[in-house]
Amino acid sequence: MRSFKLKNLIILSVAIAALSACTKDRIDVTPDKPTAERAGVYILNQGNYGANNSTLSFYNYTTKQLTSDFYGNANPGKKIGDTGNDVGIYGSKMYIIVNNSSNIKVVDVKTGVLIKEIALNQCRNVVFYKSNAFVTSYDNKVAVIDTASLTITKNITVGRNPEQMVISNSKLYVANAGGLSSGNPDKTVSVVDLTSFTETKKINVIEDPVSMTADTYGNVYVLSLGNFNDIAPGLTIIDNKTDLVKSKPAVALGYNIPIVALGDFVYYPTADNKIAVYNAKTQKPERNNFVTDGTIFASAFALAADELTGEIFVTDAKDFNSNGTLTAFDRNGKKEYTIATGISPGRVILVNK
Amino acid sequence: MVNGYFDIFRSATFPVIGKWGCLVCICLFISNAILAQSDTTKKLKEVAVKATPVPKVQLPIPTQQVTNKDFARYSAFNIADAVKSFSGVTVKDYGGIGGLKTVSVRGMGANHTTVLYDGVQINDAQTGQVDLSKLNLNNIQQITLYNGQPIDILQPARSYTSASVLSIQTIKPDLAANKPYQLLFGLKGGSFGLINPYLQWQQRLSSNWQVIVNAYTENANGRYKFHNNVNGPDTVRTRTNADITAQQVDGALYWAKNDSSKFNMHVNYYHSQRGLPGAVIQDNPVPSQDRLWNRDFFIQGGYRRIWKNGLSFLINTELTENHLRYLNPNFLNVQGRLDQQFTQREFYQSAALSWQVNANWQVSYATDVVVNHLDIDFNYPYPQFTYPTRMSLFNVLASNFNIGRLKLQGSLLNTNITETVKTGRGAPARNNFSPTIMTALQPFKNSNFNIRAFYKRIFRNPTFDDLYYGGIGNPNLKPEYTNQYDAGLTYTKALNGFFEYLTFTADAYYNDVTNKIVFIPKDAYNGSIQNFGKVDMEGLDAGVKTQATIAANYKASLFINYSYLQALNVTDATSSVYLNQLPYTPKNTLSVNAGVNHGAFGIYYNQVYASERYYTNNNLPADRIPGYSVSDASIVYHKAFRNRALQTSMEVNNLFNKSYFIVQSYPMPGRSVRLSIQITI
Repeated sequence: MRSFKLKNLIILSVAIAALSACTKDRIDVTPDKPTAERAGVYILNQGNYGANNSTLSFYNYTTKQLTSDFYGNANPGKKIGDTGNDVGIYGSKMYIIVNNSSNIKVVDVKTGVLIKEIALNQCRNVVFYKSNAFVTSYDNKVAVIDTASLTITKNITVGRNPEQMVISNSKLYVANAGGLSSGNPDKTVSVVDLTSFTETKKINVIEDPVSMTADTYGNVYVLSLGNFNDIAPGLTIIDNKTDLVKSKPAVALGYNIPIVALGDFVYYPTADNKIAVYNAKTQKPERNNFVTDGTIFASAFALAADELTGEIFVTDAKDFNSNGTLTAFDRNGKKEYTIATGISPGRVILVNK
Repeated sequence: MVNGYFDIFRSATFPVIGKWGCLVCICLFISNAILAQSDTTKKLKEVAVKATPVPKVQLPIPTQQVTNKDFARYSAFNIADAVKSFSGVTVKDYGGIGGLKTVSVRGMGANHTTVLYDGVQINDAQTGQVDLSKLNLNNIQQITLYNGQPIDILQPARSYTSASVLSIQTIKPDLAANKPYQLLFGLKGGSFGLINPYLQWQQRLSSNWQVIVNAYTENANGRYKFHNNVNGPDTVRTRTNADITAQQVDGALYWAKNDSSKFNMHVNYYHSQRGLPGAVIQDNPVPSQDRLWNRDFFIQGGYRRIWKNGLSFLINTELTENHLRYLNPNFLNVQGRLDQQFTQREFYQSAALSWQVNANWQVSYATDVVVNHLDIDFNYPYPQFTYPTRMSLFNVLASNFNIGRLKLQGSLLNTNITETVKTGRGAPARNNFSPTIMTALQPFKNSNFNIRAFYKRIFRNPTFDDLYYGGIGNPNLKPEYTNQYDAGLTYTKALNGFFEYLTFTADAYYNDVTNKIVFIPKDAYNGSIQNFGKVDMEGLDAGVKTQATIAANYKASLFINYSYLQALNVTDATSSVYLNQLPYTPKNTLSVNAGVNHGAFGIYYNQVYASERYYTNNNLPADRIPGYSVSDASIVYHKAFRNRALQTSMEVNNLFNKSYFIVQSYPMPGRSVRLSIQITI
């Protein structure tokens, strides 16, 4: 009975999604709608592997105050765990994906108070679509979590050791990294139908795809690490209508490869820790370095964009064993401010008031 | 994650000190001699009849020593336990009977300590660290730690290569013709499900030839309870997958014509299998089922000849094969498991010549050639691997010179390294000269007060893992350089009152490290090894030893060691961690060892205190591991029994059941007890 209802709901959802897709391709990377004002920014710090010292920092825009251990303050005596890898906001809840603790912490987005914990082996990243959270697990699957009941309702089998995902043109794209098979990574992106929750296609990309973003022109950007041997890290661009590889532009990537799209531009760090800009509209490199005021990074580790203000956020993980920084830049690449983060600041997410 | 065995060690590493940097020696569980060994009876008699000799303070460099009869004093089960109370030594202990134990000297990290086994270096070209657990305490006569280098200049050239030297001397048979054999049986057991029987056989074959064989087997489930409060209320959990089984056989053959011509040969085989319990991860991790196997074999021979004209000659040869297998049966790769095997082989030849020019002047020259090769066999394709072969040539010229009460020693070491690889790119050849100057002065003729100082430059070549480990290794790495400066004073006095003697030593030192080889982890994907760090270290090591007769037939001894170490990260003045204390480096450590002997009984108490440490490069409250103070105690009883020496002992580690951490996420065991019995026939 319940599954029947759910199915109807899904069909309805997909119909709406398809309709909206016809009129407008754009699906925001962050689910916050650019209407409300920002309360501030959360930074998820991975911490050290094996040290259970992942933390959530919060920078309050109004008070200009930084809280280094927001989760610990909201939940006295508790910690996030080992290697918090991703964080996502859906409605009033925030999902913290804690990789090596194999645990998802669902917290109140405003207060940080723990609502529920969900076990998921080697969970990695999260995206949301119509009342569902999709979480990749290194166990070659994407778990579907119902955002109302906060339970796993389905597992979608994908490629090996899936990493980031993006939703574009009402489809879920999953980067199958296969990063745990040294010398033999996966090199596909799974396309998952959001009606049937099944994989419909695998697209060949550059070896070891890990991070993704989508623009408003129907392009899905996939950054790959290569194979640490004869295949260098690279970028694959997929057409979200045909699901075919459109191009593999030559880019000088290092091994820290976050990628974010904002409006006409796509941002990613290069091997020399500059933030390169790719033009989504012309499909040509735009600038070698977005930063215009001479700010440099030791290890540009995470990128985020605010579609309200056009700000770009860059974290610097420094030596990965001491606290990093978050620097906010205006749309012209000029530094606005820098704040301290925890160790290995891997995700930045904006939160509305 | 991808890197399997490497990561086990990496997570255990002091990141600033370097990838393998501080994982000094991986100490497993060897059985040890709690009690005196083959020479029990003899030593007992000596103690009974002789006044206690005043411990000799070595000049011109700081030297600390523990002999087999003192292992019980420290409730020592392995070599790390036996040296943990030394000044300047920091033990990193991952907990439990199968847990890794690492030792670093003066904050320098394991790669800076050479381990000598009967004068020949135990080398690990892959990691730069020696797994001391492969050496059983049963057959060990004494362990000596030298800051700098050993004092005797008739040494293999490799003895001159590092910041400190841990020299392990095995028991040599010394049997008379009227009793040409000696047998020793022992059994240890206790907490962790430990059962450890061992035996030693000594045989006099002729007036020139003697043989000694040691063997043991050790089994333990390794389980222990620990307090866990990392996420919510305190709960008691049990550490699992911490078992070990190990066997070792060590045989040595000695020949001596007289004191001027000596030959020895050692054969050693070690095998172990253990579980690796891993870090305690909160919430829902898959429990570790990782396994580690070691299978090591070495054969070494040495010959020493002293001529009447002042010339002495020493040659040593060694062949080594170390095989290690690491298995993670739950790995999420295509094969569903990670199975890595590493085989290292070493050929070593050393020759040294010294000449006593006159009573005050000695010169020596030593030359060593070492060939190392690393082979791997993984259960998955690993095309990046280079299969490196390294040829190292060490040449050293050294001299001792005494002018009155002034002692001088100098040496100049040349290191020449060439590397060949089967595939990929090899590291460039390296050639380096590094000098050492040591001096000691006795300013007052009638007082046993001495001033000493030394300077030593250290050239540390990157290890095979540093250079070639796929995706991380960096063949462009430059060697790491350290300047060590030390100045100290020593005072020894024999007393006739309540106290029998007093010795006092204190050394201040300064080390600076440049081109520090640092592993920089970059999340689960990758990492890299770079010449990154600069470190300034300032420290003080001080020690006092005294003994008193507190009542008739009651002798009490007290040893106190204190160390201060400020090891500062001076890599980048603009960094938030500039001038921060290095991770896992306590500023203050104190060890107190007290004991009372009465006839057949000995009772000992050992306390080690280490101040707070940080487990990251930050020095913030969140990155702090609290200081700890842990006590061990032992009771020893030894008795001659129908001409057979019987020894029993009870040792308690962590007497007050303290819950503490040395390494983040690796809880230490609470109180544990070990009983042993040993009989010598």
